[in-house]
Amino acid sequence: MLRLRGREYGPDESLVMAIVNRTPDSFYDRGATWDDAPAFERVRRVVAEGADIVDIGGIKAAPGAEIDADEEKRRVVDFVAAVREEFPDLVISVDTWRASVGRAVCEAGADLLNDAWGGHDPGLAEVAAEYGAALVCTHTGGVTPRTRPHRVHYDDVVRDAIDATVALAERAVALGVDPASAIIDPAHDFGKNTWHSLELTRRLDEMTATGWPVLVSLSNKDFVGETLGLPVGERLTGTLAATAVCAWHGAQIHRVHEVARTRQVLDMVASIRGVRPPARTVRGLA
Amino acid sequence: MIVATAVCPHPPLLLRELTGSRDAAADLRAACEKAVAELLAADPDTVVVVGGADTSAEDVRGRVPVRSFGGTGERVPPREALPLSLAVARRLLDSAGCRAPVEMTAVAWDAGAEETAALGRRIAARPGRVALLVMGDGGACRGEKAPGHLDERTFEVDGAVRTALETGDPAALTGLDPDLAAELLIAGRAAFQVMAHAAGPGQRARLLYDDDPFGVLYLVALWRPGHTPEA
Repeated sequence: MLRLRGREYGPDESLVMAIVNRTPDSFYDRGATWDDAPAFERVRRVVAEGADIVDIGGIKAAPGAEIDADEEKRRVVDFVAAVREEFPDLVISVDTWRASVGRAVCEAGADLLNDAWGGHDPGLAEVAAEYGAALVCTHTGGVTPRTRPHRVHYDDVVRDAIDATVALAERAVALGVDPASAIIDPAHDFGKNTWHSLELTRRLDEMTATGWPVLVSLSNKDFVGETLGLPVGERLTGTLAATAVCAWHGAQIHRVHEVARTRQVLDMVASIRGVRPPARTVRGLA
Repeated sequence: MIVATAVCPHPPLLLRELTGSRDAAADLRAACEKAVAELLAADPDTVVVVGGADTSAEDVRGRVPVRSFGGTGERVPPREALPLSLAVARRLLDSAGCRAPVEMTAVAWDAGAEETAALGRRIAARPGRVALLVMGDGGACRGEKAPGHLDERTFEVDGAVRTALETGDPAALTGLDPDLAAELLIAGRAAFQVMAHAAGPGQRARLLYDDDPFGVLYLVALWRPGHTPEA
């Protein structure tokens, strides 16, 4: 069971988490929502398209100019507060590894802390517990935030991802995070090469078998690009194919750039799995 | 003595599990439920159901094999499965909370005039208050996208069935040509002819539904004998 902002979701309900970057330099949108007005427009659009969660981030994942905590807060805290005011029921996530930023956004109305760098700052889980927020526990292989993988290797990347994320989730629960709000994420491409991300996708059922809600973040990532030999901007089809496989294996939250098309894929997979009735069936039944 | 007769079609669509979240057959199902409710309001001692099937059989028992058409429910073993027409009737009667004993009769799609007449007369001769539920569809060749594609001849034949059900005219039903009806995929032909022989002339009739949203003519009708006092 998954609980976000007081609402409970059964294991067969899938959620779309829409990425909203408050950065001038993220790889996919290259600063399209750096300013307030377009960022708000994006929130409104993804909500209209059926996003269940918005994930607001102030620092791009890739290496780049140092962004300190004060600058990160300037980028996200007031924006979180404004989104909260306009969308009282929307689940708001913030993508940050810093406890101080986590505290500020929880004060501003965030419900979920997306710790994309795998517990780098142990204080972040404590903040989640203190504010009754949900927490995404990711696997990075222990790397430093904003570094690229270099010759990383694992005995078994899936085992490593399960062990690391479950340990983080158990720690969070021990600190007071609601067990239904501790989410695990294998973190495709983070501390991984393309082979690792493909294997995590292929064997995601092993991760969902742990019983913790699983989030996947696949959207337009390099493992899709390397697999198909395509640059950023031409990876949607590959992203959606990987999304379908992860949904089939039971991933519950899908962090994406393209909301409407992801929703279609998730609905289609849910109906194939037999947990969602088709929209309208007449063929052969009249 | 037949105290009331209802006619309903029997597409799988009437099983709610099969129509998806945006129920494609809500209005048709509502009309059928209304007809069955009125049938049961005639306070019958017995409900007799007649519906088409591959072979004729009396006192047919079984369960509704929804899963054989779709969905994710329990599978019903073939020997326990009602034929579609009787399965839809079973569902409609259950939905209406029918408490009267129900007897189901399957009439072969290709049953001839003698068989349908004999069966109709047997039902008419039953003692007690009998409510007759007739499961039958009109033609399935009513458009380019209809199950049987378009056959222009269907409009005249279907029109005759519609008029007969609307006006309570058994003779028009007994006059249907089995071979032509089979070509037009009029699944209700045999059941309609049993009904005509069972109910006899002098019916007060009402049509509750008359449309072909998916290329098949669905008719929902109620007949009451003109001379029978209300229950």
